[in-house]
Amino acid sequence: MYNVGYRIVNNTGEAEDVLQEAFISAFRNLHYYRGDATFGSWLKRIVVNKAINALKKRRTEQLPEDERFDVADAVWPEESEFPFSIEAVKKAITRLPDGYRSVLSLYLLEGYDHAEIAEILGISESTSKSQFNRSKKKLREILEGGKL
Amino acid sequence: MNNDSFEKFVNSNRDAFDDKVPSTGVWSRIEKALFGRTPVSLWNSLPVWRLAAVLLLGLSIVQFFGGRAPAIELDASNQQEFVAVESYYSAQILEKVSMLRNDESFVDDPLAQDFEKLDAMYAVLAEELRQRPSEKVKDAMVLNMLVRIDLLNRQLQKLEDSRRQKEVAKSV
Repeated sequence: MYNVGYRIVNNTGEAEDVLQEAFISAFRNLHYYRGDATFGSWLKRIVVNKAINALKKRRTEQLPEDERFDVADAVWPEESEFPFSIEAVKKAITRLPDGYRSVLSLYLLEGYDHAEIAEILGISESTSKSQFNRSKKKLREILEGGKL
Repeated sequence: MNNDSFEKFVNSNRDAFDDKVPSTGVWSRIEKALFGRTPVSLWNSLPVWRLAAVLLLGLSIVQFFGGRAPAIELDASNQQEFVAVESYYSAQILEKVSMLRNDESFVDDPLAQDFEKLDAMYAVLAEELRQRPSEKVKDAMVLNMLVRIDLLNRQLQKLEDSRRQKEVAKSV
């Protein structure tokens, strides 16, 4: 759960605050847990919501809404071997802008689909898809630009 | 959505992305916030007990009636996180139990019987986790420990209240 929050807020202290708030909130709201999702996924959603709220509080950056430039789905060709290490990818993710990093993490690492991400972030499903593609493009630029 | 080589790479190395572990101070802050100054009477509410019962008994039934849920391999960092949480709460339970060791009133209290039942369920869950590890079992174990801590806190609060009453009676 700590990793889920950390990936969104990208800061150790804030991630610990998110974890703490989420556990306390979950404990105090256990009676709202209806059992239609696993307990783990219910708790995970609380962590995600707390982390997104923490990002919103910073207000330093909004998720870019500009959809004029579309990015192709496959940023890296499907057939090719991925050329970077896990460590390089992890570092590059931390260097993504907050909005891109959130969408990329929620889709690729937390396993939410774009409809769920749209609901979590209060954006449209198509925005979630285009943000995800842009986040991959940005990630590629960071990796290939050697900005690590 | 095309699954490009980057997505395939992340998916096949998914576990490596869960490498961060929070400081141990987080768990003590959570415990303090939940049980610290004002004991939470949350567990008097029926829905919560129902939830606890569903989680715990459900898992026991799965075990005793031959449920053969496929074993889910827990990744190392999740396991590490769980071990940290479990050892933290276990230490809290042990400490509180030792504080109640000389409290004779606790032995016959319904809270003590609830505690024993939960303790027994925990042993079943721990065995289930050993044989067929899953997130469900881990969640039930954490919840079980939180319920037991709450029971012990309520008993400690009772003790504290009766001690204060005696002091007041003496001073009058």
